[in-house]
Amino acid sequence: MTAPAVDNTTKNANGKDAILQVRNLKKYFPITSGIIFQRQVDAVKAVDGVSFEVLRGETLGLVGESGCGKSTTGRTILQLYKPTAGEVIFEGKDLTKLPSAEMRKMRRDIQMIFQDPYASLNPRMNVGRIVSEPLIVHNVGSDKERQERVAYLLEKVGLNPYFVNRYPHEFSGGQRQRIGIARALALDPSFIVCDEPISALDVSIQAQVVNLLQDLQKELGLTYLFIAHDLSMIRHICNRVAVMYMGRIMETAPTDELYENPLHPYTQLLLSAVPIPDPEIERVRQRMERPSVLADFRDKNNILELKEQKPGHFVAEIVGRVQG
Amino acid sequence: MTTLMEVKNLVVRFYTQEGTVYAVNDVSYTLKEGETLGVVGESGSGKSVHVLAIMGLIPSPPGKIESGEVIFRGRDLMKLSKNEMRLIRGSEIAMIFQDPMTSLNPVLTIGRQITEALELHIGMNRSQARNRAMELLDMVGIPDPKRRLDDYPHQFSGGQRQRIMIAMALSCNPQLLIADEPTTALDVTVQAEIIELVRRLGRELGMAMIWITHDLGVVAGLADVIQVMYAGTIVERGPVDVVFKDPRHAYTLGLLNSLPRLDKQHGSKRLEPIPGSPPDMREFPDRDPFAPRNPYATERCWQERPALRPVEDSSPDHYVAAWYDLREVRKQNEEAV
Repeated sequence: MTAPAVDNTTKNANGKDAILQVRNLKKYFPITSGIIFQRQVDAVKAVDGVSFEVLRGETLGLVGESGCGKSTTGRTILQLYKPTAGEVIFEGKDLTKLPSAEMRKMRRDIQMIFQDPYASLNPRMNVGRIVSEPLIVHNVGSDKERQERVAYLLEKVGLNPYFVNRYPHEFSGGQRQRIGIARALALDPSFIVCDEPISALDVSIQAQVVNLLQDLQKELGLTYLFIAHDLSMIRHICNRVAVMYMGRIMETAPTDELYENPLHPYTQLLLSAVPIPDPEIERVRQRMERPSVLADFRDKNNILELKEQKPGHFVAEIVGRVQG
Repeated sequence: MTTLMEVKNLVVRFYTQEGTVYAVNDVSYTLKEGETLGVVGESGSGKSVHVLAIMGLIPSPPGKIESGEVIFRGRDLMKLSKNEMRLIRGSEIAMIFQDPMTSLNPVLTIGRQITEALELHIGMNRSQARNRAMELLDMVGIPDPKRRLDDYPHQFSGGQRQRIMIAMALSCNPQLLIADEPTTALDVTVQAEIIELVRRLGRELGMAMIWITHDLGVVAGLADVIQVMYAGTIVERGPVDVVFKDPRHAYTLGLLNSLPRLDKQHGSKRLEPIPGSPPDMREFPDRDPFAPRNPYATERCWQERPALRPVEDSSPDHYVAAWYDLREVRKQNEEAV
């Protein structure tokens, strides 16, 4: 059985080549009550109707504060969480409806880099085993071919292939993140979800990892969904940005357009709060007060719609209220 | 301005099973009254350990203050008894930490936690202390303070808890507030509010501050003086305007070049990372600790540790610990290219 095809091509409405289309994605976590007979009393609407697309070869930034649902969105796209509703169309196939055998095949193309390089590597496996594990799981190559592939990957991420027999605790945070990147690249994916890949690293190491991610993208033609809260880094690395707040997207635009001409009050508040490492600029900057209108965007009973204000620049507007 | 605190030759080590950790290596500086000092450094730079040493909060063992004096308003804090130090902590010197949840007692109401300090340090009675606590919560922007006094820490958001910590820290009118990464765990919009609050209160109360952070942007907006630490030593120090515009240590320059900036266009410039890895703090500090990562390192950097000395052709308050003249070597480098 094949998955129901949504489009024959991956072209979007504007004729652009979208590798991933997320449509009205929802992820609710139930809140239960009762000791023996648990019943659901409410739900945390972590992701509440998110739609966006990622174009082939670009980096889309998903930015927002803690609890806004950006990481849950990433994990739900990868089907690590089962979506409550919505479609995740990758290369023309809706992942939410894919039978598990097909999804397994699809996983080779979609990989993830995690935030915490201390928690995401198995401490009892050596580096060679960590990086070759995806190859073993998907039954790719002979032992010798895998060894060669691991050596190639380690070199690619700037680690000495001689390190294959070492264990994660022997490496610094930056080196561990390189190991995580090598593992993500093992199956030659086309799309990588980077979930806060640098926020656990020291400032002097962050730039090393960012440059590596950019070089790999160029060389291997990768597409990134880059999830982060650091708005300065997002501007540096992303082609387009989507701003999330309380499980929904407030604004999305090409990067410089969003930073120079933010239209949503929440985006404006975020940008005004980020400090700039220049005392002369900081001295004259005016910080914005938290706008009272944000309460309306927090209210889940208000129905939001992204309206295109300028080509490619979408802003959430309240278009009605949920009845009852 | 007169000197409020003078730190002289502070050395702190930790004796662990994996070896001796040289956490703070001969740190000396002065802090003036009413001054805001921003201490910048990465993990393992000694920025937090050195203030814990000042406050007498180094766990011993494994930690040990090997030497040093901390003259605060004429008294050497290193020579005080535990009881004398306890009286200074919280009254003359107050401290706020990164995680307000672990610094607040979860089973006591906020009101009780604030009034306890007021009764202990200032000798107020119950009702005086309660009124003062209400004023303090109001001052740090907690709405409806009278009712909130009877709430427990878990009933407040992260930003509100940090506001409460600030209220407690300021309750006894300290001359010095030490803030150790107080906004690192907070969202950026909440961080901006907390920084604004502390800056305003610091100015109103004429209080000196030591603000420890890894974020150069926060220091740029908040501090009068910046002190950059690396591997347990001060590598550069000076007025913020001078150091950001004309850094003289290769590490300071490297940090500034490796940062993406909110006001720089997408793709305008590739980041210039600092090569290599953070230092191993178990190495005995007998050379320039930044030498292995420094493209401008000279022969001498590998052999001898440079002391912090005044920069000749800069502001009189600008100090650097380096054997090379950064401006000179950068010029030579550009000519070579």
